[in-house]
Amino acid sequence: MSDVPIERHALDNGLRVILSRDPRAPLVAVNVWYDVGSKHEKPGKTGFAHLFEHMMFQGSANVEKGQHFSLVQAAGGTCNASTWLDRTNYFETLPGHELELALWLEADRMASLLPAMTQEKLDNQRDVVKNERRWSVDNQPYGDWDERIQELVYPDGHPYHHSTIGSMEDLSAASLTDVGDFFATWYAPNNAVLTIAGDFETDAALEMVRRHFSPIPANASLPEKPDMRVDPRIGRDVHETKADQVPLSRVYLAHRSPPFGTDAFDALEVSADILGSGRASRLYASLVRDQRLAQDTGVFVFPIVGGASMFTLWVTARPGVAPETIETATLAEMDRLADDGPTDADLERVRNLHAAHAAGALERISERADRLSMYACLFDEPERINGEVARYAAVDGTRVSAALLDSVRADNRVTLTYVPAEAAS
Amino acid sequence: MTARPPATAPRPYRFPDFVRHELPNGLGVWLVPLPERELVSVHLLTDAGAATEDEATAGIAALTAQLLVTGTQRLDAAAFAETTERLGIEVGSESSWDSARAGFTALGSKLPDGLALLAEMIRSPRLDEGEFERLKAERLNDILQARADPGRLADESFLREVYAADVPYGRLSAGTPESVGALDVAAARDFHASRYAPRIADIVIAGAIEPDAVLSEVERHLGEWSGNGTGHRTFEPRQRSGRRVILVDRPGSVQSELRVGHLGIDRHHPRYFPALVMAALLGGVFSSRLNLRLREELGYTYSARCSFDPRRAPGPFTATAAVQTEVTVDAIRELLGQLERMRVEAPVPDELAAVRDFLVGIFPLRFETTTGIATAIEPLAVYDLPDDYWHTYRSRLETVTADDVLGAARELVRPDEALILLTGDAALLRDDLAAADLGPLEVVPAQA
Repeated sequence: MSDVPIERHALDNGLRVILSRDPRAPLVAVNVWYDVGSKHEKPGKTGFAHLFEHMMFQGSANVEKGQHFSLVQAAGGTCNASTWLDRTNYFETLPGHELELALWLEADRMASLLPAMTQEKLDNQRDVVKNERRWSVDNQPYGDWDERIQELVYPDGHPYHHSTIGSMEDLSAASLTDVGDFFATWYAPNNAVLTIAGDFETDAALEMVRRHFSPIPANASLPEKPDMRVDPRIGRDVHETKADQVPLSRVYLAHRSPPFGTDAFDALEVSADILGSGRASRLYASLVRDQRLAQDTGVFVFPIVGGASMFTLWVTARPGVAPETIETATLAEMDRLADDGPTDADLERVRNLHAAHAAGALERISERADRLSMYACLFDEPERINGEVARYAAVDGTRVSAALLDSVRADNRVTLTYVPAEAAS
Repeated sequence: MTARPPATAPRPYRFPDFVRHELPNGLGVWLVPLPERELVSVHLLTDAGAATEDEATAGIAALTAQLLVTGTQRLDAAAFAETTERLGIEVGSESSWDSARAGFTALGSKLPDGLALLAEMIRSPRLDEGEFERLKAERLNDILQARADPGRLADESFLREVYAADVPYGRLSAGTPESVGALDVAAARDFHASRYAPRIADIVIAGAIEPDAVLSEVERHLGEWSGNGTGHRTFEPRQRSGRRVILVDRPGSVQSELRVGHLGIDRHHPRYFPALVMAALLGGVFSSRLNLRLREELGYTYSARCSFDPRRAPGPFTATAAVQTEVTVDAIRELLGQLERMRVEAPVPDELAAVRDFLVGIFPLRFETTTGIATAIEPLAVYDLPDDYWHTYRSRLETVTADDVLGAARELVRPDEALILLTGDAALLRDDLAAADLGPLEVVPAQA
């Protein structure tokens, strides 16, 4: 696979700028990562980083409410944003000749969000976000699984202990003062990465970036990074069962594991794919196809960088199959992989699938821009994008076994089981 | 800078040229050379969608499509998965109402192996009884899961209630528990034998390919495939009744999932392009009338939208929102109000231009990937659209006027006939809905 081109620049105010030129299609992607996510929220303010992200679309000094979307769409582009544990990202993909529109929109809200803020806009977006929570969590079968898993895997007070969507109570309490404080603290050029990928002329793009972003002052007193330290293991075997309006039982298994960016994380990513990716994966072949205990299954590692990540599996039981049965069968497959290691065929399979997936993801300039911002923001090393496939392929059987034996242990596991409410009563 | 910066000169974009062949056995071959691409996408389409089913075997199209990937006469389910995935190929196979699609996206170097395996799968699948029974059980379980999910429950209930009882579109294309429960592997074998045939099939290959060489590969693997195929049935969908309100009881719900709509358009409807613009303006983009009103002004929902689902025959027109329980009746009124407004209030020039410019401008972004381009060829093959369809697409959108949009809305958006279906907590909603005078109310239990 050919390398993604990368040019690094920095403005005097600390804004990191990554350029990745690729003129194959007449499209350009603009992507901003702010180094602020739900892990930076204070007690009583859960969900605020995400609510704030919504406020970033409510206008700024020179942009009306709703105009960010309408201008980008009328230009033939798409845009959105998302908030997660470590970060908040904002992105536009549009025809290359509209690059400056996206830069202007991002710069205007980075420079001057607060003059446009009103109580009415905050109340409106609070209602929208509460409905987002109802839709994605409270009214969904198994909907609170990740919220509950985080509470059980990370100790009370740890920045990953609470979910990004936050609690209804804390959303209700959010004020315009909070908006102002959060903006002044985190939304500064020296806390952000700006990536431009696709069809542009380098000199012209840099000139636009300087013109729009250089006047924005840095925050000279960025807060200390939150203390993410946590014991590498949970230290006990945590079991919780919930009765829910679900027809099929489902078991989630989560383990505290080394964070994104470590060699052990790469090994766990390979392990996750051997266990759960594709129809020849161990869990699908064994639990779904051969033993016919499970309806479906999934395995993944959270790409988060603070203190510890989570190696997580879920398996949905077929009707009439006890959750304990699928739990036991899942653990048996994990133990077998840890003890015996993967076969050469396992490794060949997941490496080739990974290479195809990586090529598929990087086909889209929006994804290229997002990964460049991610590696720059989290590791100050955007060049990592070109090492993804090699890092993955360097994981051998010994590393798979070692990583699993280290993390996948009974004293480091949360088992969260959902059972049908009628069966439980 | 206080005003929107000017755009620079646009670079022209043209939908990729493709070459089209027909093999002597009738197989259509569509080759899209895309230089500099690392990936190649292969989509094999057959007229084996749910519209080809007999009603007695509803669901067999979907199950047969899924069964294909569980092996060939040479390779059992485990060996087929292992062989393809070790090449970095995940073979997909699924069906909709109007076609079945099997295919993959892989690194270009894997095309010869992938094509050989795909052809083997289509021509001599294993169609194993054990695997059939497994997939059937999984489908029945999935229906259970869907009915616990308020959005999927609302989707399924809406289709059942909006179409007249004997119209196939009144169910999901993957069938109902009753129809799926009665299927056996013999039905899948019959379906494969009679519906998977080159005379009613097309293969689309998009990537860094040399068309002559790839055509030879296609001929080698699929040239001796034979059969004419039954093809789809035609039917004329009818709506079950006029305006009414159906509340599907889902106790404990904190939101109501709204589905409001009626019959929509088919793929060859004369107002297709005005309808596309109108639906985007009403509920297809963030700045649409529905989303601005229900979300950005009222905060009733995370998202409000609407769309047509054009098929060979008229699929539904549906407006959708998940709203918090307390505002349900107001949200329905507001939603209906926007449908009515669409019929009487033509878009102002800026409003129309923004949506039209979006649909025109987004064009190259839709075709950024090889699979995006292969997918774009599909309607040409399935619906017999002209070869220059994508080359004239943008100019056809650009000529849509405000009058065209209003005309499309007056014909195609009919709130007076709409079915208003919602899933929600009947204990909290029933009285308010009954008092709201939105139409005759029926409260039904969620099907288990």
